Amino acid sequence: MKRRWIAGAIGVLAVALAACAPGQGNTAQVGASDQGGEAQGGKAGGDKVTLSLWSWRVEDVKAYEKILATFEKSHPKIHVEFKPFQATEYPNILATGLSGAAGPDVAQLKSYGGLQPLVEAGQLVPLDGKVEALSGFDAKLLEGAKGHKDGKIYGVPFAYQTLQVLYNKKLFGDNGIQPPATWDDMIAAAGKLKEAGITPFAVAAGPDATWTLPIVHEIFGNARYGSTRFRDALLRGEKKFTDPDFTTSIKLIKDLEPYFPKDVVAVKIPDVQALFASGKAAMYPTGSFDLAPMLAANPSLDLGVFQVPPPPGSPVTTPVTPGWADGSFGVNAKSAHQAEALELVRWMATPEFGQLYAGELKQLSAVPGVTPSDPLLAEMAKNYAANGAPYTLLVDFRYGQPNGDAVFRDEVQKMLAGQTDPKAVAESVQKGVGQWFKPGN
Amino acid sequence: MPRWRVLAVFLLPALLLYSVFIVYPLVTALDYSFFEWRGIRQAGFAGLGNYRDLFSVYPYDQQLWQAFAHNALFFAGTMLIQNTAGLLFALLLFRYGRGKRFLQAAFTTPYLVDPLVVGYLWSLLLNPTFGPVNALLEAAGLDSWALPWLGDTRTALPVVIGVNAWQWVGFPMLLFSAALAGIPAEYHEAARVDGASAWQAFRRVTLPLLTPAIGVVSVLTFIGNFNAFGLVYAMAGSTGSPAHSTDVLGLLFYRVAFQEGGVEAIGRSSALAVLMFVFIFGVSLLATSYFRRRERMLV
Repeated sequence: MKRRWIAGAIGVLAVALAACAPGQGNTAQVGASDQGGEAQGGKAGGDKVTLSLWSWRVEDVKAYEKILATFEKSHPKIHVEFKPFQATEYPNILATGLSGAAGPDVAQLKSYGGLQPLVEAGQLVPLDGKVEALSGFDAKLLEGAKGHKDGKIYGVPFAYQTLQVLYNKKLFGDNGIQPPATWDDMIAAAGKLKEAGITPFAVAAGPDATWTLPIVHEIFGNARYGSTRFRDALLRGEKKFTDPDFTTSIKLIKDLEPYFPKDVVAVKIPDVQALFASGKAAMYPTGSFDLAPMLAANPSLDLGVFQVPPPPGSPVTTPVTPGWADGSFGVNAKSAHQAEALELVRWMATPEFGQLYAGELKQLSAVPGVTPSDPLLAEMAKNYAANGAPYTLLVDFRYGQPNGDAVFRDEVQKMLAGQTDPKAVAESVQKGVGQWFKPGN
Repeated sequence: MPRWRVLAVFLLPALLLYSVFIVYPLVTALDYSFFEWRGIRQAGFAGLGNYRDLFSVYPYDQQLWQAFAHNALFFAGTMLIQNTAGLLFALLLFRYGRGKRFLQAAFTTPYLVDPLVVGYLWSLLLNPTFGPVNALLEAAGLDSWALPWLGDTRTALPVVIGVNAWQWVGFPMLLFSAALAGIPAEYHEAARVDGASAWQAFRRVTLPLLTPAIGVVSVLTFIGNFNAFGLVYAMAGSTGSPAHSTDVLGLLFYRVAFQEGGVEAIGRSSALAVLMFVFIFGVSLLATSYFRRRERMLV
């Protein structure tokens, strides 16, 4: 008797819980838990509609409040609530949030491979035909907001990142060095700096830094492996990562190791940022995203940027600025206020938003025609417009497990630890992505 | 009220909590592991497909065994260093009572701190560029000892095991202290009267009577080490830096489930979680019954 009673209780519990588990179809009711009477009032009368906007930028709350205030001024019937979450937890929080009724109306979305789980689960509204301004966006950046299989656009891109070398103008001046015009100039400059007791390149390969290794590879090696032309050949299946050009581009990292900080495999990102910001390292190969933090760490830092000159033997003989779409803003398929949510993302495709975004956050806006006010960011934008190329491991090879970027970074760290060589790194990447990547689409 | 109803009323709250927070997630993971996933949408029954993927898809097929081996080394190293030291400290404190309270508190303090915090603290101490450990070694003229401790594939795992032992050594020490206090003094006196040396008395009288405590410590160490995550994550990042030399199953799970974020993530990571649970649960059961048999032999 006792047992049956307890079993019954567990049974009831299991059924109740199963009803709110993910992956079981459309158990959640649209708008069920919306704030008070606004769910009905929004459509019927003149009441204000509250949209919730989710983001992974906890540090940008103030800036977004300012940006969104401008939107609310021109859209008095919409109030937007900005709700940021911890960046590392965000993808899971968002996937769960979009499956229930308490999710966002508009959400900040990761790009490329990071977007696909949401697209394939049918959690987002396709924006084709609904946001006209998207047709004017850069095609390279729009790729980051598209469904990999259906080719539809699921978000309005908000920013892009570019990769180049930041350098300390004062250290260059003190040592009589100019921004290099050739690869050999750059190596000579690095040697000179090293002799003067300055770390030439602020590169980390420690436990928190493996994700930066593919970035370092892009900055120094993009031209060497053949840039966009090689990438297109990869996608068509005409070339593989084991190609000699790609292998040689990996070897460049190993060749540059003497100019990195000592014991680079134990060096963390905050270490190299401190080295660079305090003037103990002269060059920092990194993304545009690092400019604002560097200047925040040391406002008196006199910085310049340069694109790495193509290494000897490169198939591409002009400098390249690799880049990618950072993310986009999309609409929840279960939003109870889709009309208003679309209104918001439409505004996010206007130069008004782009200019505010670039100004407040010191990032490169993806909206066409927006120029950054910061001269260094403007130079990065100009370089990308003239010599932009996709960071292919991130842009094209994150659509399956294992993702190309993840295999590559682990193997490059292994190479710097002296446990493998460039050829084996290339073979591992090919082997990893070869398990899911089908050329030709 | 009949007796069973009274019992049920008292049992129900705990049972409810246990079901919601322990049983339900476990059953869910088992359920999820048998399906194919596209994001958070189930895309059909996969049978053992996710399990097969873990053993056949590169690089998981290699990383799984490597991480498992590191967990095993972690366990062996911890038994050897942490638990031996714990027993030694307990014996010393038992034998020489002076400052016992203070030392017991001092030894157990680190385990009040979260492993993540301990990990970050030690990685700062061991930092090759700014860390005080290498600066001290160099100042003492031991330049050749100023190694990149966490950046060398040969030293990283032993250092992590050492830091883990530093944090947890107070735990076996407390358990052994309690067990030592429970051994009647007459046994020891009788052994000495029979002419046993101090070592013989320890080896033949004390150690066998510690079997229950050794059993508990071993099983808990095993469970803790095979679930290791926070400390390793803080010291070696999510990839078990450098070059996977500190990779453990917990990190592999984290990467597959959360970090690489492919559309297949939920199925594969659930399969890995189920495998880990079955292994840890199974071995713990076997070990517990083994130690119970040994205990019975004492009586």
